[in-house]
Amino acid sequence: MTPGKNSTGAAGSQNGRRGKSALKAKNGSATSLSRFYGTPLPGVDPEELSGSLIVVEGTDGSGRSTQISLLTEWLESEGFAVQTMGLRRSFLVGEDIDALLAENAVTRMTLALMYSTDLFDQLERRILPALRSGLIVLADRYIFTLIARAAVRGIGRDYLHGIYEMALRPDLTFWLDVRPEVAFDREFKKSQTISFWESGRDMSLSNDLFQSFIRYQSMIKREFEYLSKRHAFLEIDGEASVSKVNRQLRMKIASHLGIRSTHYRPSHALAHLWR
Amino acid sequence: MKIGLGTIRMATITPDITAAVQPAQQQTAPAKREFPGALVVVEGIDGSGKSTQLYLLKRWLEIGGYRIHFTEWNSSPLVKSATRRGKQRRMLTPTTFSLLHAADFADRCERQILPLLHGGYLVLADRYIYTAFARDAARGCSPHWLRNLYSFAPIPDITFYFRAPLDVAVNRITAGRPKLKYYEAGMDVGLSLDRAESFRIFQGRILNNYDQMIETDRFVLMDGTMRVNRLQKVMRTLLADRVDLTRFAPKKKK
Repeated sequence: MTPGKNSTGAAGSQNGRRGKSALKAKNGSATSLSRFYGTPLPGVDPEELSGSLIVVEGTDGSGRSTQISLLTEWLESEGFAVQTMGLRRSFLVGEDIDALLAENAVTRMTLALMYSTDLFDQLERRILPALRSGLIVLADRYIFTLIARAAVRGIGRDYLHGIYEMALRPDLTFWLDVRPEVAFDREFKKSQTISFWESGRDMSLSNDLFQSFIRYQSMIKREFEYLSKRHAFLEIDGEASVSKVNRQLRMKIASHLGIRSTHYRPSHALAHLWR
Repeated sequence: MKIGLGTIRMATITPDITAAVQPAQQQTAPAKREFPGALVVVEGIDGSGKSTQLYLLKRWLEIGGYRIHFTEWNSSPLVKSATRRGKQRRMLTPTTFSLLHAADFADRCERQILPLLHGGYLVLADRYIYTAFARDAARGCSPHWLRNLYSFAPIPDITFYFRAPLDVAVNRITAGRPKLKYYEAGMDVGLSLDRAESFRIFQGRILNNYDQMIETDRFVLMDGTMRVNRLQKVMRTLLADRVDLTRFAPKKKK
């Protein structure tokens, strides 16, 4: 398999398909996991999804978004067309969730279901078409964050897995693991404050923002440890340097896509992220 | 089944003989929980007469001074803008249609129905989770998935199922309405290009799905073709038989 030398947009999906076929051969002998957890979404033929879904999970401050930006540039320079997804990015309800969060008046089940609407809207109307065209989809968080957040608020794990059984199973799921204290430092440095929801303020854990954040993130982390076993996450030390984390991600993704070239230096535009 | 003290069974799904519907997961929800309140539900296809009958029941209880609250399907302001946008632009799939309605229902459930049941109210619901089971399954959602989705909802003390023949119900709707809406007519399912025809087929599917639940979900069958006042009398008698109404009656002054 020769690595894609052509980096024009048109060649992107072409390479994506070739890379994928190499994967299929590799996966055929090992495991033949279905592309969906349970019943597929109505009207979807898993066979026609030739692209790859790559998920990066991790709390705020784990370096997730930075890594997604770098990976996008790397993949595009390798000639792969990339589509991204994330939380609250659906056209259907993305803004409505923003409004609900701002009001703080929403109850846990409603919020959980609005998030699942948001996710499935993106999946059905944007991500599945992209995967049919052989694109690489980079997900900046996925169902796992949604399951963890709802689970720590007392919604049953099996209930949540039941809702998301129609979701697409990622080809790779990375978990950028950082200690809550480190996440706190990074987030505070970035925005000079800590978000209401990221510190679980709706859960009355502590009146002290720091304590609340640490307790909440520790609960989330425990859920992720459970999810990591259940869904075979690729755990990466998110406290390592950006370049080191990025190299680990590239190695895994390159092997998944069947490309040899993992060399990458960020362009001028992204150089500031490389520390 | 006589209900003494407003026993609400949380999310216990009666096993379905048709196999498609399986018991939902019971991890956090307790199998049984007692509320001082009671939940009365009407279900049935459009034009079956259920809303008229529930309205009359509500008036009867209101006039009598009972502690009641009326709630209807799809009425939460919280997700209204999303639902409207989705419907106007026809961007809802069976899955997102179902999830959005579930979010709406969850909001009503957590902020109205459950607190009112805890507070000792007689809650009257025009349509409930069975509407989603019947309608969303007619759109192609998995019945098993739907059962799980709504497993957080308290089970009603009594569910009146208003049943009218398809022709009667459909005629009642189409006669009074100049144009059926896109999703209302089930146009998204692709049953027919003709809106009236699509509505008919869609309602027929929903009716079948309702009929499947009569046994499994203990529906009280109501003949939607009976005269309105006679049917109302039956409804009041059945309600008083099933639910101890004295608990919601106005307190006598000393």
